[in-house]
Amino acid sequence: MTAVPPDDRGRRGESDAFAAFGLITGGVFFWGGVGWLVSEWLDNSLFVMLGLLLGMGGGLYLVWLRYGRG
Amino acid sequence: MCVSYTLLAAEGSQFESPGPGDFEYPPIFGEGTFFTKPMLIIVVATVLVAVLFFLAARRAAAVPGKGQFMGESIYGFVRNGIALDTMGREGLRFAPYLATLFAFIVTLNISGIIPFVQFPATSRIAIPLFLAVISCVIFNTIGIRRQGFLGYFKNMMFPPGIPKLVYVLLAPIELVSTVIIRPLTLMLRLTFNMFAGHLVLLLFILGGEFLLLEKGGLVGIAAGSISLLGSIVLTFFEGFVQILQAYVFVLLTALYIGGAMSEEH
Repeated sequence: MTAVPPDDRGRRGESDAFAAFGLITGGVFFWGGVGWLVSEWLDNSLFVMLGLLLGMGGGLYLVWLRYGRG
Repeated sequence: MCVSYTLLAAEGSQFESPGPGDFEYPPIFGEGTFFTKPMLIIVVATVLVAVLFFLAARRAAAVPGKGQFMGESIYGFVRNGIALDTMGREGLRFAPYLATLFAFIVTLNISGIIPFVQFPATSRIAIPLFLAVISCVIFNTIGIRRQGFLGYFKNMMFPPGIPKLVYVLLAPIELVSTVIIRPLTLMLRLTFNMFAGHLVLLLFILGGEFLLLEKGGLVGIAAGSISLLGSIVLTFFEGFVQILQAYVFVLLTALYIGGAMSEEH
């Protein structure tokens, strides 16, 4: 399936930065949004913060998972 | 107070700094019509790009003329520098689309520093939005075709090597970052680079003009001259940014397509 071995794809590094940014932002967006919905539902704004932190943690973990393990 | 302020403004001794309002144009053909300057720029840019590539392809002479040379240079640059580099030989299929995209965005961006046109049409969000949606549709379609509907989303959302329970947390993040954040950042990056660049140029040029002509005096003339000289330097810098942003947009589109063709993380 793979056209070129991963190592030969010269421009890949340039996209890594954008991908990492996307993962962290995506995490904050999604879980922050879920947290906001829950906090609207339960009338407790604590869940927004929980969601944001959870999303950021998840995003960072994914970045590490994909790029940080060498 | 209010009256005197209006009077001052009417005399032109108050400087109104440029803002988002400067990106709103009235219809060209008067009240009630809809055709505005940004639309005109888009139409002209479309025709220009079409004619450029059409001529370059049709009169393909052994000794290329000026137009053919330009068309071939752009195509060659995108084909070798972007399509081949990011996707390998498989990427050649996308070279025509990427080259057209590049030429189109460059033309729309560069219209920001062409005398008398001087408005980057890409600073209106609808255009980058539409281009980003096209990119998004293309790379997702390629991914689904290559890996199957389930396979594509499985590869995207479930990276191997983590406990099953953690997928609940991570899978939505992967999905959101690929399907929503990618086109969103493509759009925002292009739009607001052009928006901010245009605003800076407006500020330097209009501010310089105001200082020089309205304010006057030693300070006004000195500061106005510096501001106008600075605007020349910034115009060249803007030209660089405009080409760079078109390149980044096309490069990222190519990388996303390449990633969808061979998902393996």
